Amino acid sequence: MRSYFSDFPKTALQASYWLFVIYLLLPLALMMAISFKDANFVAFPIDKWTLKWYAQVLQDKQFLEACAYSIFIALMTTLFATIIGVWIALLISAEGIMARSVIFALACLPAVVPGLINAISMRIFIRVLDIPTGTGAIILGHTVHAVPFVVIMVLTRLRSMPNNLVDAARDLGADSFVAFMRVTLPYLTPALAGGMVFCVLTSIDDFVRTFFLGGYQTTLPMLIFAKVQGGMSPEINAMATLVLIVTAAIGLYAEHFTRRSRT
Amino acid sequence: MQPVVHFRNVNKSYGSSLAVDNLDLAIEPGQFVTLLGPSGCGKSTTLRMLGGFETPTSGEIFLDGQEISRLPPNKRNVNIVFQDYALFPHLNVRRNVAFGLELKGMASDAIHKRTMELLSLVKLTDFAERMPGQLSGGQRQRVALMRALAPNPNVLLLDEPLSALDAKLRQQMQIELKSIQKTTGKTFIFVTHDQEEALTMSDVVVVMNAGRIEQMGDPHTLYAKPRSRFVANFIGETNFIEGRLKAIDGGLAAIEWNGSVVHANLNGQSPAIDSTVAAAIRPEAISVLSQKPANTIAVSGRITQRIFKGDHTSLTVSLENGQSVVAQLDPVALSAVTGDDVWLTWRENDAVVLAD
Amino acid sequence: MMVDSSMTETAKVSPRAGPSYAGWIGKLVASPLYAATIGLIANSRMARLVLLLAIPLVWIVTLHIGPIYQMARISIMDNYPPAPGGVVYTLDNYRLFFQEPLYFMPFLRSIIFAVCVTATTLIVVYPVAYYVAKVVKPENRTRALLLLLTPFWAGELIRTFSVIMFLANRGAVNVFLREVGLIDRPIILLYNYFSLSFGVIYLISLFMLLPLYSAIEKIPTLLVDAAADLGAGPWARFRRVILPLSKDGIISGCSLVYLTSIGVFAAPLLLGGPNSTIFPEIIASLFHGSSDKWPEGAAFSILMLAVSLSTVGLFMRVVGGRSVKLM
Repeated sequence: MRSYFSDFPKTALQASYWLFVIYLLLPLALMMAISFKDANFVAFPIDKWTLKWYAQVLQDKQFLEACAYSIFIALMTTLFATIIGVWIALLISAEGIMARSVIFALACLPAVVPGLINAISMRIFIRVLDIPTGTGAIILGHTVHAVPFVVIMVLTRLRSMPNNLVDAARDLGADSFVAFMRVTLPYLTPALAGGMVFCVLTSIDDFVRTFFLGGYQTTLPMLIFAKVQGGMSPEINAMATLVLIVTAAIGLYAEHFTRRSRT
Repeated sequence: MQPVVHFRNVNKSYGSSLAVDNLDLAIEPGQFVTLLGPSGCGKSTTLRMLGGFETPTSGEIFLDGQEISRLPPNKRNVNIVFQDYALFPHLNVRRNVAFGLELKGMASDAIHKRTMELLSLVKLTDFAERMPGQLSGGQRQRVALMRALAPNPNVLLLDEPLSALDAKLRQQMQIELKSIQKTTGKTFIFVTHDQEEALTMSDVVVVMNAGRIEQMGDPHTLYAKPRSRFVANFIGETNFIEGRLKAIDGGLAAIEWNGSVVHANLNGQSPAIDSTVAAAIRPEAISVLSQKPANTIAVSGRITQRIFKGDHTSLTVSLENGQSVVAQLDPVALSAVTGDDVWLTWRENDAVVLAD
Repeated sequence: MMVDSSMTETAKVSPRAGPSYAGWIGKLVASPLYAATIGLIANSRMARLVLLLAIPLVWIVTLHIGPIYQMARISIMDNYPPAPGGVVYTLDNYRLFFQEPLYFMPFLRSIIFAVCVTATTLIVVYPVAYYVAKVVKPENRTRALLLLLTPFWAGELIRTFSVIMFLANRGAVNVFLREVGLIDRPIILLYNYFSLSFGVIYLISLFMLLPLYSAIEKIPTLLVDAAADLGAGPWARFRRVILPLSKDGIISGCSLVYLTSIGVFAAPLLLGGPNSTIFPEIIASLFHGSSDKWPEGAAFSILMLAVSLSTVGLFMRVVGGRSVKLM
């Protein structure tokens, strides 16, 4: 900051930053604190501490099954969304493609449509095609939602790729498949890593699509939703805390990874 | 006359490193002054302190007799042309030039009139509604110049504004800048590391090195009578004559060098007899002869290299003492040189004794 | 890489003749199956183009456009699934929306709610983004940003849940205020517009933060210097240089926040009250209730989609104006 900027705006800006940080962190921090409360109801203040809720959650079969189911869906979603997303990005960045901007806009459509509408349109779509609700429908819905983000991340990375890299590989005798595997794909790695983590986290987190497309098996957000609606107990806090720590760790690690490979 | 800009004992340090070291500089109004020096010599810091972007660690800066060292840039009546122009990309040419005037609260007709006047000065009236992104480098340069001149500053600062242009355009802009300075009669303070630029445009050149002023003067004096080794080296090409001072005779020093005694202008220095002194002599001031001249002192040597440079040829002559001297000869003088064994001679006053 | 002598000889004749590769790609490329399948495609321009085009285009047409097309089609049916007599197309579902305040009012509320949330988020987040992008020293910037990003790695429901516990009658805020002695009975913070906005902004401010941050960070400090030099004080510098140059960030941030907040679903279910019913809940009820009202639901969804996208379009037109070309 230049020395001539007067001190008042600087202090005010700093204050706004810290207030915002508090706004973002305080509710989550307090929620985590209550997970250690030794009482059967959720309220302040906390006078006795315990770890029993964690023990209970880790033995909760319903919770563990929901976790496994959510992770399975997230991994399948990530797999499909990555393949299709890269494919679409390659198409958009290919030379001599007509209506590039139209294809790009359509590829991004599911990300622009409000979440609820997106979920409802998918619900209608699978009913028209007679696809049953359940695992397949959820994965399809999550994949459609995740593809635009993969496309955008991969396109951004592709744009920064020196365009003579592939030419050089072709010149050295690689056919286009080998050139893709040996040059383009490795170059895309950071974008792919970022995109995949994004897919996993949004899929695990998704509520509205699962709500409309899901069958009888419960995913993690559905379980938390049911528990929150059913009444409060520190058990939910423990559950949420565990999920939060895992997802935040994945997110932070991915952030760290992409940042490091960028430099 | 009261100087328009006066730096008094100004120091600027960043941590432990001193960027500007006890600067004392007075600039007369209406002059084209160039701060010249290598990168890191403190010239840009000096300019930024005058613009208000840096505050001196100690000392005072006066603008028209008023102390301004700690005023923010928006409260100083100086404007700056930035190195990368810093045109506002969201405003068209006209609005860019009008920016400073709008902030002065001028009436909009008056703003329009002055903006168009300024743009016509650099023949850009047809480009008034263009965005900066649609202009060429030279046009952007002119817009930046007019934007800085618009609020009618006491002093216009130019921070290496020509460095982003190609050689041809740069020469053209040098002439244009000089003529704009003449027409407006404003004080221009120009910062550059390009000695040729400095010599072409300036009334006064201030050569800076390591945060200090090495020498200040008109371009001709600086070139012909450099005071220090640094100045001699930085401006143009130079040969150094180093030897024992035998005698001082009027304004001339007699220096023992390469087996003979050569003369050089004292240039205001007063070195002690028998001490080692250095003098500088420009390559084009040296005559190269095939025969030993009768009436003047000459030094003998052997040509080891000839480099053709178009309008002149540069000869490297090795002397008996192992040093070598570079001389520049035009084609006529060159044709008179036959063989590689030659004699070098120069007019006594063309060599000048240096302070260090 | 291993290149035997016969290989180099062929290489002389034709520089494109297959070199050998290390690792599994080498084995793959060397196998006869490869030449017959992938190799064939990889070396034929036509085949490559078809392969490149086919799958993405089929995907986009079926799964990006298909669902919305089906939704639009069903929205003009009188019944879904169609009655045995055959499909009857009608605009009744749309008419119903405008005639029935029960649908129309929540819709209006939703739009107004989303606009208010967007404006509030912009005002709250702008100084924060500015602080991180321009005031924080570059070496600390990542850390300052991560502190803001970390909470967003927690899921939507978990964050909503934490807001509930924060604002509940026996939640943190009320307990704190009572301990301090400012109140003696809890203020009702939950299940109204306050908790809804608090929660929605809590969920989506990241979508405002990131575009704003990257737009502000891109503004060259030199331009701010230039403005100061030309006489602009702090406020003029902000209004005449920083604000217009962060316009792109404002547009994309506002669009994202608006589109997200208009379609939030879990948060209103958990944080809203009976008096703050917004449109998403109504649409959802048409699909999940006992009575199947899919055509109405589809029509309302189409209306909501059209209005939300056109609001964003209008906003971009008004604020964006002539497109800015950065040097």
